[in-house]
Amino acid sequence: MDYSTFKEAVIAFCKEQGITEYELYYQTEESTAVKVFAHEVNQFTGSVEGGICFRCIVDGKMGYASTEELSLSQAHSVVLRAVDNARCLETVDAVFLGEGGQQYETLNRQLYELPTTEELVQAALQTQQKLYDADPAVIDGTTTQSLCERKEIAICNSKGLDLYYVNHIAGIVVSAMVQRGEEKASEAEVALGALPTLDTDALTAKAVAGAKKKLGGEPAPTGVYPVVFSPEAMSLMLGAFAGIFSASAAQKGLSKLADAEGTAIASEVVTIIDDPFHPENPSPIPFDAEGSPTHRKAVEEQGVLNTLFHNLKTAHKAGVVTTGNAAKAGFNGAVGVCPFTMYIAPGAVTEDALLRQAENGVYIDFVTGLHAGANGVTGDFSLQSTGYLIENGKKTTRVRSFTVAGNFYDLLKNITAVSDCMILPSPVGKTTFGSPCVLVNNLSIAGK
Amino acid sequence: MISKEICERVLAKAMSTGADHAELFAEHTDRHSVSMVDRRVESINDTVVSGAAVRVCKGLRSVMATTVDKTEAGLLRCAEKAAEALGQGNAPVDIVLTERSFGDIHPVKIIPSSVGNARKVELLKEGYFAAAEHHEWIRQVTGSLADVDRRILVANSQGLYTQDRQVRTRMAISAVAENGGDSQTGSCSPGRKAGLEMFEEVNPRDIGLHAAKQAVTMAGAGYCPAGVMPVAIENGFGGVIFHEACGHSLEAAFVAYGRSQFTGKLGQQIANPKVTAIDDGTIPNAWGSVNIDDEGHPAQRNVLIENGILKSYMIDRFNGLRMGLPSTGNARRQSYSYTPTSRMTNTYIAPGTDKNEDIIGSIAYGLYAKEMGGGSVNPVTGEFNFSVSEGYIIRNGVICEPVRGASLVGKGSQVLHDIDMVGTDLDMGQGVCGASSGSVPTNVGQPLIRVSSITVGGR
Repeated sequence: MDYSTFKEAVIAFCKEQGITEYELYYQTEESTAVKVFAHEVNQFTGSVEGGICFRCIVDGKMGYASTEELSLSQAHSVVLRAVDNARCLETVDAVFLGEGGQQYETLNRQLYELPTTEELVQAALQTQQKLYDADPAVIDGTTTQSLCERKEIAICNSKGLDLYYVNHIAGIVVSAMVQRGEEKASEAEVALGALPTLDTDALTAKAVAGAKKKLGGEPAPTGVYPVVFSPEAMSLMLGAFAGIFSASAAQKGLSKLADAEGTAIASEVVTIIDDPFHPENPSPIPFDAEGSPTHRKAVEEQGVLNTLFHNLKTAHKAGVVTTGNAAKAGFNGAVGVCPFTMYIAPGAVTEDALLRQAENGVYIDFVTGLHAGANGVTGDFSLQSTGYLIENGKKTTRVRSFTVAGNFYDLLKNITAVSDCMILPSPVGKTTFGSPCVLVNNLSIAGK
Repeated sequence: MISKEICERVLAKAMSTGADHAELFAEHTDRHSVSMVDRRVESINDTVVSGAAVRVCKGLRSVMATTVDKTEAGLLRCAEKAAEALGQGNAPVDIVLTERSFGDIHPVKIIPSSVGNARKVELLKEGYFAAAEHHEWIRQVTGSLADVDRRILVANSQGLYTQDRQVRTRMAISAVAENGGDSQTGSCSPGRKAGLEMFEEVNPRDIGLHAAKQAVTMAGAGYCPAGVMPVAIENGFGGVIFHEACGHSLEAAFVAYGRSQFTGKLGQQIANPKVTAIDDGTIPNAWGSVNIDDEGHPAQRNVLIENGILKSYMIDRFNGLRMGLPSTGNARRQSYSYTPTSRMTNTYIAPGTDKNEDIIGSIAYGLYAKEMGGGSVNPVTGEFNFSVSEGYIIRNGVICEPVRGASLVGKGSQVLHDIDMVGTDLDMGQGVCGASSGSVPTNVGQPLIRVSSITVGGR
């Protein structure tokens, strides 16, 4: 059955069961992806997925149940399961269904036409040819993928909320593989947007240059140094530790930023913004997972924390209004919080000036192992890195296979300069993270 | 789930534009989890995953289409979409399926989906409060009990029609300990390909205690010093070193495309002769086990490395075509919406002959990694990293004070040669491994091993 028939069946069954506070969250994604290897299409995927999440308030508790199967039996089952789940909860926090907002950002951006299968195939093949043409070091193992997706989200609830959002995303993902002697390296890059508007020359050049940069290098010497993080590396760091800005985590004692609003949590050169409508956010949704309007906010300004990310429940507990950051991990997840486009605002100095200020230290252009080597609760990190030595204010020797270690809460306070050039790499889950170059005093490097 | 006759018609439609292989994968999965925080049951989540995928292959090309509509009409539309993306034409193909059963080597006694919330809450609370009440430093505990009941059907144009039911249960407890304003974490998360009877083998209290003790130990620890040193890595989840340093690079998903450090190295000495490594999906009720993989191939025990010599890769049918090698029963996907590819099951370094006391005793100054966190690898270069969640300094062959915040980094091809002592007590740890076909449950394992020299990231 289709969603609207399913919705009617759920509403009728709620009435029959005497359930008066409920919500249906519907999400569906229709996507196509074409993968090219060795100048031939080797994989094509056309997928349709999604489902509904039903939640209801029973005796002051919020019960959830979800399904991908839209059938009459599931329309009844989700209601009964959600009620049963609610009855086993022990939380004492007040729970809410969204009533929506007065005003939603109207999106001027028009949905672009999604590419046809043939256009996807041609885009992937042509982009791959550009990778091979870019440099003789490019070898088989290089892959290109073109993709597109149509995503729909609808929320309706017993408070009269009835919202709908549709978005189109298309793009190209490349992974250039290069070889020098016995050594191989690869680098992936992504460009999102209507395919004809994408600069695939720049995309392929960047991937090939990135892969070549990874060849060679030696471990950095062990010690404590000033460290400059590239925009890409700092965006990854911000993404790994974004959870410390969650009011939900703070209220559970899982972030040290609990009750820190109005206090200095970072150096005064640091300002952090969350802007759902940043032009580089590929999915600028005007409402959050509870239907509250989304909006731009300075999370932290010149070092002082303005706000954590809130949904209706955490905001009520904190005695503030929601920041419109309610989010779900998938259509079937419970409502939590998440930023949309979170970035460190650019500063006033150039990257060269930042390197001169560091004088002697390490420039880090990539960190990895964040899911295990970065602890969101304690702020501790110890991460595999690559980059350059900084000697006399300039990037010199290529370094790799070393670690950078420290604590993110301390790192925020020890940022002494922020460059004037901010970039937003591709999204990580629901959020796009961005940063300029930042200079941090005294981090531990372990190498040789 | 879906009758043989419907599958035959769907596969015939899928083959109609000249495919040389077609496959239908259908799934109905119930996922359920109970979570606690602040000493209370905070959420119960409950979801039904239901859909199907039709995959057609011609030569080295594959096309997959998925649908949430498992009616015959929905499946035929899905098959048509895949067939059209592959080629032109409408050649009649006759598909005859024979139902096959590969047996059940992972019997389940207590099906979690048949047990109400109350019993699950009771079990979780045993683990939760064991952690919460362990020590005055414990400031917060989070816990979850998750179960999955996955029913799959695989039918293909070779005539296969088979089904499997995969039940898994896992409890995870994390504790935060605070000592003088400084907090540290500990966790424990065992799981089995079994029902709630897993708690007859694993006491929930021990899960909570394990997490709490680790958090308290780390809250009293100083930072791990940085440098290059010998490291002894304990059994169980310590096996993540092999998973990252070597396992991923032996998956056909990388090897077939020349994107692995071990492409073309079958028969070569790639590890220290002390190292024998195995991927075994047949271990009864182990977390990473399956009866059949997601292409319908029975699970196997595959010796990957024997006395340091590379013997086998982990291969799915489709990537095997490119390599000219048969499937090893390693095709896995998180759900129908992911294209299956070669993945690990239960992967471990086999027991050796070194005594634990000799391994520790051989280290004048180094690190004892008692518990590991997760890690990651770049299979092209073999550069890997993983974190140490509970470490101790070894001095003059004796395990001394605990240290926090360590990570280990290195290169797979090098570290395999540097594993120069292998103990006798094999144990496994449970993880969820993420890659292109989604998140799948995998076991890692090993006895206590010594790595003669590795970079320890600390401060």
